[in-house]
Amino acid sequence: MGLQPHRNKVVDLAAAIADVRDGAMIALGGGLSARLPMAAVREVIRQGRRDLHLVGSAHSIDVDLLVAAEAVHRCEESYVGFEQDLGLAPAYRRAAETGTIEVAESCCVTILAQLRATEMGLPFLPVRGVRGSDIRRLHPEYGEVTCPFTGEVLVAVPALKPDVALLHAPLGDRYGNLHLEQPYVLDERFASASMRVVATVERLVSTEDVAASGVTIPAHLVAAVTEVPFGAHPASCYPDYAYDREHLSGYVKAAQSGGEDLAGYLKTYVYGVADEREYRDLIGSERLAELGRWPESTVDWKGLFQ
Amino acid sequence: MKFTVDEWFVVLLARTIRPAETVFHGFGSPCAQVAMHVARRTHARDITLIEGAMYAVNPDPPFIPPTSNDASLKRGAAYSMRFEEFFDAAIRGDVDRMFLSGGQIDGYGNTNVTAVGPLERPKVKLGGGGGGCNLAATIPHLSLWSSRHRSGRALVESCDFITDMGHRTPSGDRAELGFTGGGPQWMVTELGVFDFPDGHARLTHHFPDVTVEEIRAATGFELRVAGDLRTVQPPSGAELSALRAVDSLGVRRGEFAPKELDRVFDHDPAVGCAC
Repeated sequence: MGLQPHRNKVVDLAAAIADVRDGAMIALGGGLSARLPMAAVREVIRQGRRDLHLVGSAHSIDVDLLVAAEAVHRCEESYVGFEQDLGLAPAYRRAAETGTIEVAESCCVTILAQLRATEMGLPFLPVRGVRGSDIRRLHPEYGEVTCPFTGEVLVAVPALKPDVALLHAPLGDRYGNLHLEQPYVLDERFASASMRVVATVERLVSTEDVAASGVTIPAHLVAAVTEVPFGAHPASCYPDYAYDREHLSGYVKAAQSGGEDLAGYLKTYVYGVADEREYRDLIGSERLAELGRWPESTVDWKGLFQ
Repeated sequence: MKFTVDEWFVVLLARTIRPAETVFHGFGSPCAQVAMHVARRTHARDITLIEGAMYAVNPDPPFIPPTSNDASLKRGAAYSMRFEEFFDAAIRGDVDRMFLSGGQIDGYGNTNVTAVGPLERPKVKLGGGGGGCNLAATIPHLSLWSSRHRSGRALVESCDFITDMGHRTPSGDRAELGFTGGGPQWMVTELGVFDFPDGHARLTHHFPDVTVEEIRAATGFELRVAGDLRTVQPPSGAELSALRAVDSLGVRRGEFAPKELDRVFDHDPAVGCAC
């Protein structure tokens, strides 16, 4: 793998994604409604990638949209959905039920152990759970190992080395130093276990500025960095903006209805915009500003979710 | 003062938490999430509350948002764990209690959040288990809940798919599987409360507006009933006001079938505070 050399890694989004190959194993940063790498996801779809193997913990519109665009072959997340609030992930659900994707549902702890094995240069790590769960049946690649010291039998999970990690951060510098806000989810682990890290950032700033905020992921783990304001929309990227529940709700409705409605969403928000500047224009500066107004008062913050 | 079944339900879940415990809820679990905050504001003020999906330690959120990793959920927390820091604590046994639910739950407390119907061609692909299939092995106490008991589809004889392990699976019991955690301890539903003596669910309490026969009819596994079956203890004024302050958006209500929310009860001011 090798650490990344210290050089200017700023590229535009299209160039950053051009290196993602069909069939690649892609680690998606963030989770649920927070810091999903949506600009990168939209670009992957625009560039027509196919047969992707997605890995991650708990995800929502990022995975669902890639599945809706028929870009995915295998899903290996611990959860895909819109929580209690907006319910099941419609495109993912449909694809799983009709057998057009391979569902390799996993577990947060297992994926963590698999990434750590890669980070440590080990072929596997043991986990205590999974036995007795039917999740085991979804993973013929898992094995069993007997502890040489205690005799305990544990499930052995193989090292997982994604080809690309797509991460979104509020701040970064041109070398790829990234500052994240909690929850970091698996981003740090993805950064050190993946072959290549492509980062989108809300703002490119000086190294001094990103260091002052705190470097969460260092430049030597990052291959490419690109500035994309609102690059997580409709997910949140605090402290800049909250998630866009109204937009997500609209997406879920379109995806539930499927057919022309879902095609319409993809056409409007992905294929029909040449780049993320056009995407932001489409969402509208007024709406985007609204999502950033959460710190003004609890009433404003809460109002976004009503 | 009146209160509704969702409020009573959350208070019963809150009471499964003991003082000084370290407790955690998974994402997309508003009832469990609100219950943890109610416990922390009433009878269990010294718990270590780990907010699911934010991993914030003892936050005081201004409201509970409809998503589990909004920044509002770390307000007031001096510290947020890293993802791996939380999961490490949980798998080594330092997280005392976790809340789990499922589209299906069987009598041994196995839960299914993966798929209804055959795995190869599921009838319904559910969201998935998060960290459950490892955490269920190691966390000392599990509090289960179902807000859809009455549907007849939630408490089943056997799960179509076991995502998270209860007291016994077709592969063996917890000792045989080498698990270090104790498994399900309580299960709260909108009809009653169960414990798990001998590793199988047993009805210990029922809501006053529900009969045992109704519960039996809604339960897919053999209904075992405690000899001293009683009605669930009513919520105190302190518990109700804590709950209303915590969940001003009412996210907990989304877990219930709309007609359940018509179940309204009169509060008896003589009921003492549980704290």
